[in-house]
Amino acid sequence: MSEIGGSDLFVLEFGDILHYYTPYTTTLFVLALIFTGLAILSRPEGQVDIAFGGDAYYAKETAVSEMRFRRFMTIACGLATMGAMGSGDIFNFTLFASLVGITNVGIVAAVKSRHVLDAAYEYGIVAMVATLPLFGGAALILATTGTLSIPALAAGGFAVPPIGKALLALGVIGEGMAPFYAAKAEMFRAPGAPYVIMCSLSSLLIFLRVVEIAITI
Amino acid sequence: MIEYLVFAAVFGLLLLGLHRKVIARVQMRPGPPVWQEILHALKFSFKSTWVPKTASATLYVGVVLVGIGIWSAALFIVLAGESILILFAIYMLHKVVEHGFGLSSGSPYGKFGGVRSVISAASEIPLFVTVAAIYLFTGSLLLADITAYQAIHGPFLLIAPPVAIAMYLVILSKLPYGPFSIVESKELVSGYKTEHFGVWRAGISVIDGLKTFVLLYAFVAIFVGAVPFWAALVIMTVILVSLSFVCAITPMLSPFDSVTIQGLITGVMLAYVGYLWWVMP
Repeated sequence: MSEIGGSDLFVLEFGDILHYYTPYTTTLFVLALIFTGLAILSRPEGQVDIAFGGDAYYAKETAVSEMRFRRFMTIACGLATMGAMGSGDIFNFTLFASLVGITNVGIVAAVKSRHVLDAAYEYGIVAMVATLPLFGGAALILATTGTLSIPALAAGGFAVPPIGKALLALGVIGEGMAPFYAAKAEMFRAPGAPYVIMCSLSSLLIFLRVVEIAITI
Repeated sequence: MIEYLVFAAVFGLLLLGLHRKVIARVQMRPGPPVWQEILHALKFSFKSTWVPKTASATLYVGVVLVGIGIWSAALFIVLAGESILILFAIYMLHKVVEHGFGLSSGSPYGKFGGVRSVISAASEIPLFVTVAAIYLFTGSLLLADITAYQAIHGPFLLIAPPVAIAMYLVILSKLPYGPFSIVESKELVSGYKTEHFGVWRAGISVIDGLKTFVLLYAFVAIFVGAVPFWAALVIMTVILVSLSFVCAITPMLSPFDSVTIQGLITGVMLAYVGYLWWVMP
């Protein structure tokens, strides 16, 4: 197996499905773990906004019920991201990636602001549409090679179609929120830094993982 | 191990001080002494420190530690000759750290610094293209293999100059006072750093020092090859001075222009790597 992320440090077998951790995937896993821990321990900030037309400013407060739901979604997102980091099976990876997309929508959809809800709705549509290339790419690789095991594909002897890899990467980009919405003003109207950051982090981590998968297979 | 970290942080801060000095002299100003950034870090270490009332306290503090942690890890990855894919990942994850700095305080200045950090993610893609191009030549991403390849075939700086230019631009986009430094633009006070003061700001200085050292050292290792440590330090200084000249004579771009130019560079680099993939056996 090509060791672009370094040699295997640990392999966790579930029958014929396995999770493997190289220095690369371990780094990504640990980062997901740290930020999930920070989301559990942190309270949301009081986002300060300026009231136009005067010198006044105010700090937004996050209701406890909203905070609880968004924290739950953030923890679920962190767990899905950690799962995607170690997965040695492309099908499992696509499932974890789509779960990241769903939980990202949940993190922002709980904010009681019309602008933020609009953005969450648009993001939900993109994430839903992105499942087509995501699972389509995996299906194409399975149909061509007969396996979705990353170590088996990396061992050689299979002609993995580049279009399958490209579709997989496209699907991951669509599931991750960062490329589409993380920089939009609508998203940043949402207070709750520990939760919003998980959207960016999870998007980035699944992208970094799919890069490794695409090069490895 | 700790001595490597301290040396890298101090030397990185010294390079940042030199950066400010060169920019000032090119612009016919006296400029601060070269050790100014080290003095800043020391000064902030002993200044009054607290957490703003509006901040998400755990995240506000935690993100400083994460920043120091990831760049310390990056330093040891480069020194140990590990995979440059990890270095690439850490470089991209630094965006999340900047984002965390900006959002955690609740300040609008920090928040917009964080937003600009996310939108300037286009600057990371040339680094990915660099990684892909090197893999086409070496078939490995381990730094030890890359330096071994260069020992036989010559430095990558001569084998694939456009890839070296791409990484040079990546480092330029991370340096302060450069054309792409939109995250610390003066209309945002200090951008994502605005609300971190006292010992937290000293932590950010350590992150900046480590980041500068790691990126320049990685550039030397990837594009020049294995050289004695003192020679690597000299080459790093020369590269930094050249970057300072670019920063001194180039105005800071608007966020839109910055992202557009970085996107164009990415497009050119993707075309180059596509060409390499096509022509290489």
